[in-house]
Amino acid sequence: MDLTPRTSDEVAGAPSSRRRWIPLLALALIVVAGGVLVTRFLTSAVDYYCNVDEIGVRSGCDEGRSLRVQGTVEAGSVSTERGVTAFTMAFNEEELPVRYNGVPGGIFDECIPVVVHGSIERGVLQGTRVEVKHSSEYVDENEERLDDAVERSGARRCSPQA
Amino acid sequence: MANAPAGGITPTHDTGTRATQVFGTLAALGVAWLCAFGLLFSPADRDQRESVRIMYVHVPSAWVAYLAFGVTAVASALYLLRSSHSLTWDRLAGASAEIGVLFMGVTLVTGMLWGRLSWGVFWTWDARLTSTAFLFVTFLGYLAVRRLGGTQHQRAKRSAVLAMLGVLEIPLVHFSVRLWRSLHQDATVARIEGDPDLDGLMLFSLFVGLIAFTLLYVWLVIHRQRALVLEDALEAHGLDAALVERRAEAALQGGGR
Repeated sequence: MDLTPRTSDEVAGAPSSRRRWIPLLALALIVVAGGVLVTRFLTSAVDYYCNVDEIGVRSGCDEGRSLRVQGTVEAGSVSTERGVTAFTMAFNEEELPVRYNGVPGGIFDECIPVVVHGSIERGVLQGTRVEVKHSSEYVDENEERLDDAVERSGARRCSPQA
Repeated sequence: MANAPAGGITPTHDTGTRATQVFGTLAALGVAWLCAFGLLFSPADRDQRESVRIMYVHVPSAWVAYLAFGVTAVASALYLLRSSHSLTWDRLAGASAEIGVLFMGVTLVTGMLWGRLSWGVFWTWDARLTSTAFLFVTFLGYLAVRRLGGTQHQRAKRSAVLAMLGVLEIPLVHFSVRLWRSLHQDATVARIEGDPDLDGLMLFSLFVGLIAFTLLYVWLVIHRQRALVLEDALEAHGLDAALVERRAEAALQGGGR
């Protein structure tokens, strides 16, 4: 705070303190950042994905365009060869084969819902990015023993997930 | 949290009292309790394994940020609506917003780390993440508005209006995962459908986190609100000194004629 007594000329001119511009500049930057966020929000975030059963049915979920498709990785469908991961994702009894050039990160596994970015070519979703969509269910790891027992009996199925 | 003498002002008290000592002790015990349950006693998740433990910081941080911004809005409304226009409400609003921004930042950072481990990406522009980032930016803007200058009441009026608008984003953030399809999972605890779909010990650890972080928030807000009282007093002292100086200057000029 500049409290130096002002001369009459300074009072007449009433120049703003330079420090006053700093918060204004910060506010402007924040508003611009907010604008960028809203722009991205409107173009990219509303309804983040199409479900597998909506391909070619729902508006905006057409083949031949860039899509984000959600479905559950089918049990026993995952294979990796020469750095390419292939699997089948399903939703509402509709299935879609996926090829992804890489190894998906996160907790990618069978029976886990995923969102795959890419485009559908000749009935196969050519993935450019795989994101794992975890459900809101949290279960003690020890309960996995039951799953393992079921899997060993050859009866493993993916339970429905949101 | 004592204040050193500054600008010629010698504080007659610091921001700590018996009440804050109690809250501080309870908060420290709560955080220790959270560490014990979050890191040792609660189980790993079937799918997310050990990374699920980030939840015990991420969710309570988000809760405290919502609470803090809610308190900011209520205190702002009280400042505007009560005839006394007491600056105490304004300082409470400002202190709560600062702590809220801090916890919202923690929410975003822990969310990004958790996202990398479970989703495979740090960030994506889905509805929940984008609206949360927007809420964070809004209250950063609120803090900037508080520093625009002017009198303390001008500051209070400007920022109160912004706080009451900004808080409207909270329902949008919370329900974004229901309004739109999102990579972020649905609400686990505060859900409409019924009981949380969470292992018992995980749920208990989460509530320990909520209690610990709420106590921490209360402790921080009390201290920060009292620090703001001292800041305002310092500013008023500087203004008084300037007035005395200018009156002396005017007296000198008048005497010289």
